Amino acid sequence: MDVNLSRSDPKAIMIGIGDYHVGVEPMTSIGLGSCIGLILHDTRLGIGGMAHIMLPESGGKRDRPGKYADTAIEVLMKELTAKGCSKKTLQAKLVGGAQMFANFSGNLSIGLRNIEAIKMYLKNYEIRITGEDIGGNKGRTVTYCAANGFIVRVRRADGACSEI
Amino acid sequence: MAILTPAQIDALGELGNIGASHAATTLSQMLMGQIEMTVPSVEIVDLADIYKHVTDDLSALVIFEMQGEIEHGGYVIFLMPLSSAMRMTNTMLGMTDEEREINEMDESALNEIGNIMVSAFLDATAELLGLVMLPSPPILVIDMGHAAIEQLLAEVAMDVNEVVFFHTKLVCDQYAINGDLLMLPEMTTLARILEMMDQLLKSHI
Repeated sequence: MDVNLSRSDPKAIMIGIGDYHVGVEPMTSIGLGSCIGLILHDTRLGIGGMAHIMLPESGGKRDRPGKYADTAIEVLMKELTAKGCSKKTLQAKLVGGAQMFANFSGNLSIGLRNIEAIKMYLKNYEIRITGEDIGGNKGRTVTYCAANGFIVRVRRADGACSEI
Repeated sequence: MAILTPAQIDALGELGNIGASHAATTLSQMLMGQIEMTVPSVEIVDLADIYKHVTDDLSALVIFEMQGEIEHGGYVIFLMPLSSAMRMTNTMLGMTDEEREINEMDESALNEIGNIMVSAFLDATAELLGLVMLPSPPILVIDMGHAAIEQLLAEVAMDVNEVVFFHTKLVCDQYAINGDLLMLPEMTTLARILEMMDQLLKSHI
């Protein structure tokens, strides 16, 4: 049996679809498909946040900030800045954005649109991307613990693990 | 989203029960084994809690879009742990090796099993409601269940934060096979189904 990272740390905060969390505790998002796990980390203070982003644009909706790329980055930045983080020491890593299968509707891959949107908003905030495991057609489970530095662990369905 | 009344949840559960029973019967015939089926649950699930219902374990998912009289009606999914899927195709294809890699023959067998089951599921529910519901050609995904479902949610839950999640568990002890039959209706479809069920119930009072 492969070691299941997400469940090997039962204390990890589970960040479901459209959710986000800021802090120093271990956090995880399981089964990222077309969604993206965006992790922002402050290298100076050793705190960070993760959002499980599902769609590229909120279109003005404010009820679930973690769900959309624009509002997720906004809310993570707001909460991290409130904890004393600064743009200069914040870095970003991205995981997910796969196209698991060809859409029934024939729409453009939602995963790719998520990636594009997040990269654009990060650029607007002048946040540097220092790691990514994105695209393709495989699901990913991501774990991150700010207290251990900016190490993001990614596990695939077949059990293969990597760090970015 | 309109919150469902307990009566509506019951009605949907009963509708799903009829559909799932038919699906279970076809599976039992294909495997020539007995299938146990749990009473279907109908739950309103927040997107953030989907992980409590679908894991990131390696699974085989056969995915169908509900089509026919209702366009883009939502999705029906037959989900199995990959090990169960292998035992299922082994049983059908007369093989015993469970450690082998999944091949094209397995894939078409899984698509076909899914197709027969989901067609039976939709036929039975559609007949009760008096409308035509057809499954799209199947799409097979071998990966994390949660990851595959996310892409469907991106279509059905663009404007809502909760989805109606229909779930039945099918178990065949004889061959140690288990799977889940899931349905994720599009919100407009759901509204239409509920309306039809209301009429159906009224006409029987």
